[in-house]
Amino acid sequence: MNLSNVYELGTDNEMQIETGRPKTLIHIEGVNKEFSVNKNKITVFENFSYKIPEGSFLSIVGPSGCGKSTLLKLISGLETPTSGTINFDGQVISGPPKGMIYVFQQYTKSIFPWYTVLENIEFGLNTQKKNISKQEAKERCMEYIKLVGLEGYEDYYPSQLSGGMQQRVVIARALICEPKVLLMDEPFSAVDAMTRAILQELLLSIWEKLPITILFVTHDVDEAVFLSSHIISLGKAPIGLKEDIVVNLPYPRNQIDTRKSKHFTTMQLKLFSSIFSQEKGQA
Amino acid sequence: MLKRWPGFVLIIALLVMWEIASKTGIVDSVSMPPVSQVFTTWGGIIANGELLNYLLPSLGRIFSGFLLAALVAVPLGLLMGTTPFIYRLLEPITELIRPIPASAYIPVAILFLGIENEMKVFVIFLSSLFPILLNTYSGVRGVDPILIDTGRTFGVSKMKSLFKIILPAALPSILTGMRVSVGIALVVAVVAEMITGNSGIGYFILDMQRIFRVAEMFAGIFTLGIIGYLINFGFLKVEQYFLRWRGNTGGV
Ligand SMILES: Nc1ncnc2c1ncn2[C@@H]1O[C@H](COP(=O)(O)OP(=O)(O)OP(=O)(O)O)[C@@H](O)[C@H]1O
Ligand SMILES: [Mg+2]
Repeated sequence: MNLSNVYELGTDNEMQIETGRPKTLIHIEGVNKEFSVNKNKITVFENFSYKIPEGSFLSIVGPSGCGKSTLLKLISGLETPTSGTINFDGQVISGPPKGMIYVFQQYTKSIFPWYTVLENIEFGLNTQKKNISKQEAKERCMEYIKLVGLEGYEDYYPSQLSGGMQQRVVIARALICEPKVLLMDEPFSAVDAMTRAILQELLLSIWEKLPITILFVTHDVDEAVFLSSHIISLGKAPIGLKEDIVVNLPYPRNQIDTRKSKHFTTMQLKLFSSIFSQEKGQA
Repeated sequence: MLKRWPGFVLIIALLVMWEIASKTGIVDSVSMPPVSQVFTTWGGIIANGELLNYLLPSLGRIFSGFLLAALVAVPLGLLMGTTPFIYRLLEPITELIRPIPASAYIPVAILFLGIENEMKVFVIFLSSLFPILLNTYSGVRGVDPILIDTGRTFGVSKMKSLFKIILPAALPSILTGMRVSVGIALVVAVVAEMITGNSGIGYFILDMQRIFRVAEMFAGIFTLGIIGYLINFGFLKVEQYFLRWRGNTGGV
């Protein structure tokens, strides 16, 4: 890897595609999104365009209320653009497409309270794999329960779990589906620092192993740099895309070695100062 | 159970006061025989099967009227809760009919259905219908959209979402509606039986009063208390079972 090119701040997205990168999986074209609340119109996106390459790990950062969740919901097909289109694998998205799963920021409201931990995760599995024996299904669920560190809690109901444990149930329920695209909205917001570090590695190892594209919303610059191949920074409409960054830290990454590298620190500081100065300038 | 002892002490104290008041002539012992006599009589009509003969038809009516109501109200409520057009179509009429006391239907029902079982079951059905219907559709409308969207992102079909997500999410509300309904069903059954016919615990109580078997009348009233308590208790147990996921602190 060319060392003078370890990070590319503000690189044009279009350019990357031309320079021999994987094909575009998700193409957002001229999207406008408006909400009306009490007869007031809120514009969240104004003529927003972006291409997401297949197999990328894209983190989305930006201030609260800038539209990160809205962007993921638009891509997931749960929300529809006021105008413009979003293409997924060559098809215009008009409803939740197969092979794409959105992990809600409001994880406590997304968990099924009448199901146990095991049943919640089994729900995910059942929506994807229809002909699988009961025994096999249970084994696979247990595997994921172990991965997210919930072994021994499989028969607990969500009401008996802590917030961070509930969040891990929701993550496992999505991961077990092995979707083509995983849209994760601040998925580690409620877990402690150590569990978070473990889950970050887990997510990375899954992403490195499977042909999966991950879109990941976070407020944590450190987390974004550690995980991502690409990072975009959003501003409130009409600003839209503020930064479009390629993170040229080699994979596989791990918590110790990746963090030790000088490029990691430089990258993190660069991104942080870029966002910070812009926020400060606006305030 | 142990924490309830003050309540039990009060009940026993009241019964003792009743006994003394009746025996010492503070109250007229013809209208209010000593409670010990009421209990003996109660035991007697239980033992000779007289009470059961009157009680069973009532329980049958309550059960069938309630069951019919649940079978109609739950699907209709699900439909109203999930289909805005059906909701806007039926909500006003439901809100208009609902406040009418169920006993007011009895004269109308007599005109169409006569004075026996059909009429009574129908009136019980109608009065049980609205609490279940109302609680079902408000429960369905109260389901968090995020829960429904979770189903959508996992590719769950609308039909499947109705049974796998909406129904269980609305279940606490539906069960509350059912519990309210059985309570009402008991009241309406007794009222209907007192108005016409010659069967049922309601008829028994009124008849005993007419022929001055006052102890039997009180025994009948006590029976209603016990039945009402048991029905409610049973329902709480059913709720506890179906809503065990709420945890101990969930409450209703
Ligand atoms: N369903 C909705 N109805 C009305 N307005 C909405 C709706 N969803 C989002 N908005 C508005 O869109 C804007 C962006 O919201 P969004 O949830 O996407 O922000 P966010 O970037 O995810 O913020 P956070 O970091 O706090 O999660 C906000 O102003 C919000 O009020
Ligand atoms: Mg958000």
